[in-house]
Amino acid sequence: MIELLDVTKRYGTKLAVDRLSLTIPAGELFAFLGPNGAGKTTTIKMLCGLLFPTSGTVRVGGFDLATHGDDARRLIAFVPDTPYLYEKLTGREFLRFIGDLYGLDPARRLQKEDEVIELFRLGEFVDDLTERYSHGMRQRTVFAAALLHEPKVLIVDEPTVGLDPKSIRLLKDLLRKQARGGTTVFLSTHSLDIAQELADRIGIIDRGKVVCCGTLDSLRQQADLAGTLEEVFLKLTTEEGEE
Amino acid sequence: MTAQATVFRWLRTRLMVHGWDALRQSARARLITIILCTLVIAGVVFGGALEGFLLLRKQSLPGTGLILGLLFDFLFLTLGIMLIFSGGLILYGSLFASPEARFLLALPARADQVFAYKFAGAIGFSSWAFVLLGLPVLAAFGVAYSVAWPYWVSLPFFLLGFLLLPGSIGAIACLLVVNLAPRHRRQILIALAAFAVVAAGWFLWTWASSALGANISNRDALTGLLGQLAFARDAWMPNHWLTLGLQAAARGNVPEMLFRLALVWSNGLLAYVVAAWVSHLLYRRGFNRLQTGGELRRRYGPSRLDHWLERSLTILDKPTRLLIVKDFRTFRRDPGQWLQIVIFVGLGLTYFSNSRQFYRSDLGRPFQHGVALVNLLATCMLLCAYMGRFIYPMLSLEGRKFWVLGLMPIRRRQLLLGKFGFAAVGALVIAGPLILAADFLLGVSFTATFLHGVTIAAVAIGLSGLAVGIGAILPNFRETDPSKIAVGFGGTMNLLAGLLYLLLEIALIAGPHHLHAMLTSSDAAMPTALFVLQCVGVILGIALATAATLIPLRLGTQTLEAMEF
Repeated sequence: MIELLDVTKRYGTKLAVDRLSLTIPAGELFAFLGPNGAGKTTTIKMLCGLLFPTSGTVRVGGFDLATHGDDARRLIAFVPDTPYLYEKLTGREFLRFIGDLYGLDPARRLQKEDEVIELFRLGEFVDDLTERYSHGMRQRTVFAAALLHEPKVLIVDEPTVGLDPKSIRLLKDLLRKQARGGTTVFLSTHSLDIAQELADRIGIIDRGKVVCCGTLDSLRQQADLAGTLEEVFLKLTTEEGEE
Repeated sequence: MTAQATVFRWLRTRLMVHGWDALRQSARARLITIILCTLVIAGVVFGGALEGFLLLRKQSLPGTGLILGLLFDFLFLTLGIMLIFSGGLILYGSLFASPEARFLLALPARADQVFAYKFAGAIGFSSWAFVLLGLPVLAAFGVAYSVAWPYWVSLPFFLLGFLLLPGSIGAIACLLVVNLAPRHRRQILIALAAFAVVAAGWFLWTWASSALGANISNRDALTGLLGQLAFARDAWMPNHWLTLGLQAAARGNVPEMLFRLALVWSNGLLAYVVAAWVSHLLYRRGFNRLQTGGELRRRYGPSRLDHWLERSLTILDKPTRLLIVKDFRTFRRDPGQWLQIVIFVGLGLTYFSNSRQFYRSDLGRPFQHGVALVNLLATCMLLCAYMGRFIYPMLSLEGRKFWVLGLMPIRRRQLLLGKFGFAAVGALVIAGPLILAADFLLGVSFTATFLHGVTIAAVAIGLSGLAVGIGAILPNFRETDPSKIAVGFGGTMNLLAGLLYLLLEIALIAGPHHLHAMLTSSDAAMPTALFVLQCVGVILGIALATAATLIPLRLGTQTLEAMEF
């Protein structure tokens, strides 16, 4: 569902992503880890078609982002770390805008709106202007909007920042449920415990290069360490930095 | 209309409806102030223009129609050029630098639809001054000449159609600059704007020089003079289509009016379609180039300038000093800001050195003093523009970071004092040498130079107090684009208050001296009564400067201290 083929991205002379190749099948929950400035956000921006690779190819659902970006983006939902909402729209109007933009027919859109409002418990505030929302309410609304069109690929950047424990639990269940339902989930996070708990496979990126990629067990083998993901992550990224 | 166009139209409508409701419910006083101020400004412009048109009508000069046509041609040409640059710059901010643009580009929204949505907003922002100032002038013309009804009906359609053309040209320029030179896009846009201003200034200067020497009662001289402006009346110039269309409408010539209206709209729409097509090809590409065209991180080292500034401000307490240095550091690291100041100061000096040519031409004492007074006015207007564009938005630009300053162990009054200090020192450093250079080049008397110095000091300090104070009373923490903050309601209030203030200061401090010099042909001593008036004027000017500084700062401090973060 997601293919990154020999992707390189430069910012002027700085190499942000270096010949990254990654294939993520449908229904997989893939956790993307890396230290600050490793190239995670650049990779996500290329997956959404916000940035184009300097070389290489990015494909989502078989569509090349460089040539068929709009087709690819119809399959994607992106939830950034800082959610964007129109402050002078209500939550319900925001959901309607997103549904219409993804081309849902009105009857289907209304049905999906009701579903996500119930799923994310938005009922109490969904008709208020979003300018009055707390961070948690904003995050829940953005997630609701992301799932409205039943995306094939869900890209999530640091989803748990600012959420209370109950909302984090809800989110974890939701991400697993999405993956079980066939959606590819690309999760970029610094929360190693969430990655360890949820991910089918984990990719670690450092200085623009994928240091290792696989299940937690295979990562342990590569690191030659039988510890937690945190210990494995620290060992692999430290070794890479020292080389 | 495509499905996405309908979605964006719905979005725009909902945002406007909720924005209007919020304004009506929670800020009724502000809404009433906006409406009243708009009516006052429009009324003043209408009144002034009406007087002018009635005077022109009474004079029964030969070729009045030609003169009026020329006036309209230049009005629309000037407004059109301004719209190209203001539209392009505002569109740059909303297409490439706003969080909303990033959000929309991550959705399956077509690039040209996002462009169209942003284009409408940018045109709305950049053209409201056009409507506020242009419409009363055109209405005054209609009243003074008792025009036929088609004029009134067609007027809004002509103006709306005309907006499309410069707006589209500005948008295409913006997209091309971002795609071709992503690392220097802002500097290029500013350089282009400066080039246009210099070229227009040079042309107007040359033309005005010949106009002053010409005898307009002589038909050949008048024809020659008007011949120099032929380019503005060229059949291919859109501003001329607008002029001809409105003149035809005023005469009740409906077929001609409809032809010109169709010409304006068809070309405006064609330009818009071309701009949308260019955006389809280049918007996403430009966004990518802008994000990755330069280095990922740029290293900024300490500067001696910061150090010198801090050392020169030892008279102030340390927190205020640090706040001033922080603002200065932000300012110097944004070439887009200080380049504009350099350009305007350069333009000012070019103009002053040209006015020296007048002096050499032996145009007489009254005229010399008139030029000196115009120089003073130009310098004060430059200061007013500097305050409106750079100082007024400073507090608003702290935006959502404001809680950082709000929680610092300093009194909020110090925040304002810091910004006031930065503004006043900057204004004095810019305007002081400028007016001295102007007076030196003109060779004006010591008394006039001294009075100009006092005026500039009063204007610089008073305008700083007004800009910082009004910036705190009417902040706009939601907006991140300083140009949008400057053209918003608070920015307009600041501009109007500033203009009124500087005119009063010039009239009080420098007015009596120049008035006497312009009315007498020799260097005769000033009569006692006028001398007393001059002294009273200086005292009143200083008192006014004190009030313009202290009252807004005090009100701003109260607003800031009552603010919750």
